[in-house]
Amino acid sequence: MATDAITGDFDLSAEVDVESIESSARKARLQSTKRLLRYTFLKLVALVFTVAIGVYITILVANMGGAVDKIRLATIRESAALAATANPAFKYMSVEERTNYLNRQVELEVKRLGLDRPFMIRSFEYLRDGMVLNLGYAQQLMSDSGSRFVRNILLERLPSTLLLFGTANLILFFLALFAGLSLSRRYGSFFDKLVLALAPSSAVPAWFYGLFLILIFAAWLKMLPFGGMVDAPPPDNPVDYALSLGKHMILPLAAWLISSIFLTIYNWRTFFLIYASEDYVEMAKAKGLSDGMIERRYILRPTLPNIITSFALTLITLWTGAIIFETVFNWPGIGQLYYRAISAFDTPVIVANVVLYAYLLALTVFLLDFIYALVDPRVRIEGGGHKQ
Amino acid sequence: MSRKVWALLALFVLVGAMALASCTSGGETVVEVTRVVTETEVVEQEPEVVEVTRVVEGEAETVEVTRVVEVPVVNEEEANRMGGWLDTIVIVQEPDSNSAIARLEAGDLDVYADDVGGEAALQAINSDKIQTRTQYGLFDELTFNIATCADETMLNPFQNEKIRQAMNYIMNREYIAQELYQGLATPKYTTIAEASADRARFAKEIREIEAQWGYDFDKGSALIASEMEGMGATLEGGVWTYNGKPVNIIFLIRSEDTRALIGDYLATQLEDAGFTVDRMIRPAADLSPLWVSSDPAECLWSLYTGAWSQTAIDRESTFSFEQYYTNRVLPWPLWALYSPPAALDEASQKIYNGDFSSIEERNELFRTALPLSMEYATRNWITSRLTVVPFRNEVSVTTDLAGGISGAALWSKTIRFADKVGGSMRIGLPSVFTEPWNPFGGSNWVFDQMVIRGINDQGIYSDPNTGLGVRGRIEKAELDVREGYPMTASSDWVTLNFVPEVAVPDDAWAGWDAENQVFLTAGEVYTETQTVLRKSTVYYPADLYDTVTWHDGSPISAADFIMPLITVLDLGDPASPNYDEALVPTREQFLSSFVAMRVASVDPLVIETWSNAGSLDAENAVNTWWPNYDYSDAAWHNMAIMLLGDADGGFAFTDEKAAAGEVERVNLIAGPTLDILAEKLAAATEENYIPYAPTLGQYISSDDAAARYANLTEFVRRNGHYYISTGPYFLSGVFPVQGQAVLQHYDAHPDPANRWSAFSAPAFPVTEIDGPARVTIGEEASFDIYIDVFDGPYPVADMDSVKYLVFGADGSLVAEGTAEAVEDGLWQVTLGSDVTGGFAEGSNRLDIVVVSKLVAIPGTASHEFVTAP
Repeated sequence: MATDAITGDFDLSAEVDVESIESSARKARLQSTKRLLRYTFLKLVALVFTVAIGVYITILVANMGGAVDKIRLATIRESAALAATANPAFKYMSVEERTNYLNRQVELEVKRLGLDRPFMIRSFEYLRDGMVLNLGYAQQLMSDSGSRFVRNILLERLPSTLLLFGTANLILFFLALFAGLSLSRRYGSFFDKLVLALAPSSAVPAWFYGLFLILIFAAWLKMLPFGGMVDAPPPDNPVDYALSLGKHMILPLAAWLISSIFLTIYNWRTFFLIYASEDYVEMAKAKGLSDGMIERRYILRPTLPNIITSFALTLITLWTGAIIFETVFNWPGIGQLYYRAISAFDTPVIVANVVLYAYLLALTVFLLDFIYALVDPRVRIEGGGHKQ
Repeated sequence: MSRKVWALLALFVLVGAMALASCTSGGETVVEVTRVVTETEVVEQEPEVVEVTRVVEGEAETVEVTRVVEVPVVNEEEANRMGGWLDTIVIVQEPDSNSAIARLEAGDLDVYADDVGGEAALQAINSDKIQTRTQYGLFDELTFNIATCADETMLNPFQNEKIRQAMNYIMNREYIAQELYQGLATPKYTTIAEASADRARFAKEIREIEAQWGYDFDKGSALIASEMEGMGATLEGGVWTYNGKPVNIIFLIRSEDTRALIGDYLATQLEDAGFTVDRMIRPAADLSPLWVSSDPAECLWSLYTGAWSQTAIDRESTFSFEQYYTNRVLPWPLWALYSPPAALDEASQKIYNGDFSSIEERNELFRTALPLSMEYATRNWITSRLTVVPFRNEVSVTTDLAGGISGAALWSKTIRFADKVGGSMRIGLPSVFTEPWNPFGGSNWVFDQMVIRGINDQGIYSDPNTGLGVRGRIEKAELDVREGYPMTASSDWVTLNFVPEVAVPDDAWAGWDAENQVFLTAGEVYTETQTVLRKSTVYYPADLYDTVTWHDGSPISAADFIMPLITVLDLGDPASPNYDEALVPTREQFLSSFVAMRVASVDPLVIETWSNAGSLDAENAVNTWWPNYDYSDAAWHNMAIMLLGDADGGFAFTDEKAAAGEVERVNLIAGPTLDILAEKLAAATEENYIPYAPTLGQYISSDDAAARYANLTEFVRRNGHYYISTGPYFLSGVFPVQGQAVLQHYDAHPDPANRWSAFSAPAFPVTEIDGPARVTIGEEASFDIYIDVFDGPYPVADMDSVKYLVFGADGSLVAEGTAEAVEDGLWQVTLGSDVTGGFAEGSNRLDIVVVSKLVAIPGTASHEFVTAP
């Protein structure tokens, strides 16, 4: 049936052309699919292109545009000579033999690191390998168990990073989310003012709180460990191991939460406050709906895309770890690894870290577009419908 | 009750008994002792009280007395303990030294086996729960760019030797040591290392140099002025200019440590002397391309705050002059410019090559080189850093003067809780399992090596206080040395013979046929009989094979001693299936002094080695062939499975070969190569594989091979890794991600735990001078020198020499000599009237240099006195 868009009266004289409608619908679906595919393709290309540019810039920066080669050459020469002189047998070689020996040692290392080829060629090889996730062989770093493969180096550190920062961020996210939501409904209350007053405490980084917590609970009260992942030696029994792990996570988690919780609650509370004062929320309140119902249906739901975005970005941020935080708690995470890679100019490890993070970020951004469409009916691909 | 109370009680009783006895009249006294306790008898806990019945004849009077006899209390558990003192040692990673000190204070760590400096060191020193041991081995210096600038409009002041010398005067080393290092450094003037035998040997000469080149800013400034003017520079408004532009000094200052402060201080001193200074404060990586690689004539830099380290006590100072003042050791552009005076060059080369026939001749070479090196001054030494190794008060452990705990070969043999046997100790290390463990291309990191040393044994150890070889697993050694070589022996386990010629027998092994896997004899390698500097013959105990076992329980065998020679020759040979290009230089270096080896007897094991490697100490010239490879230990059977994996291309020993083949470097303790090792162990077990069978097949039976592989399989099942050695602890737990290792007491170790107790602490001489504050010119003056060790007098027998130097008011040496021993701990210096008669009026200083036989670093003390007519 068709209706007059202006009067709203039924036009009974109009014949209903089912086929035409179906055809239009098919056409519309096809066009939608085309638009979707085109959008998806363009989005993917754009994201991959962005990742490639980002990674290549990282390669250039990490190698100082090739200047690192000079540093490396000098370091290789220095190390080779010092290592040779530390060996008593060196003195039994003639001057010529010594020179040949040192040149050979330098040559071997130069070859191993690929410094015998121009940096520009190597830079594109790094990019190519990174983009196809051929993480390859580290130049300086090793995994804790002695592997040179970047894959092993990252995989060995990833679980501990995800465990600590995953737990910390999940607790922080949900605690702050619900506390913020609750406070948004209790604007001006004592707790609201308290959170407001404590929010600036987040200006102090988590590792700084960590130092104090270690001093109090490890050095002074001797209740909790100074750092590390588990007791030394690690318990054999999985239950004991898990308990030991939990004990070692208390201080880092506490430091992380103390450092971020008030500001995060304040952020969410302010965010929700805007939605909590919308007319439809007032209307719901006037209708006598319960607080829980209002929070869930009238505040949380329309803000879902923002919450999901925040949650997704929180999850992928875990990948980066936290350099100083991990160092303070002697936590074998990926942040420390990244720092060591940068210090040692270990391009394959730096590239791998960056490229994986970039891909995760790109994938998240890509998926979020679709998730928005699923959770928010207002979101459509351009030209696909009216905005309500 | 304490022993003192018992002793006091006994004294009263004895005095009472004597008083009673004195009251009795005449007659012979017979004392019956109801029980005789001798000093050698062992008692468990308290001193024993014995009943003494005193029978006085004649009066028929009997007096009973009680006598306390003090006997040494011997703890049977201590006496009977074998291997290590502890049950387990847990190594934990703690990268931060400040955190480590906090953990030590809290009891969370027992030892922190790194050298600690700065604030953390001061905190450790001031803690009442922590004891510290001083470690020497890091030296600061000022490297000069001595080039003449290619750009003639530029002037490099340090091309001028006199200006380099003048830098000695304008740097106050005492200020740097006391203020910038807060006392954790000592002034250093000469190239001779603090922890070296020559430091004591040339203590007098060093003191003279210190007096000559001490801080005197005005003198230095004046010297700089005269030389700068001589080079055409002019002082305009207090600033040196050349060609109308200020003379700019580019000062490369390392930013990572106290050198940042030192550089800033010296830059200020240079500015005060009229220079314009460009401070370039950067980390090593940024500065290395400039001072190591750049052409000095480009004048991209003028000065660099360098530092050099030593990881073991230097017995011979071989590199002291050759490395720092000549162009023959380091191949860097700056060094190519080094052209020392002929006398310094000759002395340096002779010292380096051991080209002298007596110690006296060598001493003369040093006396020539030392002052000349100060004058040539390619660098000025600044300070010797003092770091500390902290551990809790209840811990007892050996530390090396240069290497601390991590560099002490004996650390695990002595470490214990002072008040108990057994227990578990936690040791913190900055890093754990930094690189793979394997014998040829494994981890060379000091902390990995510390753990490796902790679980190994050695044929000969290095004395942690003197650097002299100390007998380990070997029984004795003989050295035949070519006459005229100045080698000396100080220990009874080594016999030193001088012979006119040391010839290599034709049947000794001198080469390797990698294709046929057999040794080449000297007769096959050389067309003529070779003569060498020395022949070392090492004798192992007759019960070696019965008492010494690998950690998997396999008895050690002759094949374990032959394998090192095979592998060093084979792996660097292109014909070998295990050829590794990266090991070619290692092979060449080895062959530069090695000539031949022969197993003279398999049981008992006796090995002869012919070599041209010299040493002043016979103890350090013995080749033991104990299976300690370059980077880790290995038995022939775990070596066999590594060789199989390497030959198959599953992994490689070295990083270079691994990178080329895109495989992993073999790691015996963790990581992905464990799976390959498991495969190879299974394969070796199945075929009873004997590596290098044409040669080792003569020393390994099929049954031996089967037993060894079975033992290793069981060891791996229990411990999860393939690393075995022969020391007092074995590696029982490897936790790389957690940064932990567990060493467990090896019950089958053959040594008593107290074997190395004498090395628990260094016997530093503590010296004090007692003497007149005023000496009358022309009259005799006497000074008492008190030398203590561990709160007691230093035995005269353990003293090498006590020398004295007297410096006059102008800093010049006015008298010197040797103190006279009076008794243990007391020496005397007497300045005769003829000596004091030569003194000028004014303030003088008496310096005492105490050289002990037990510790390389001499003790010193000073006493000021005035002279008047």
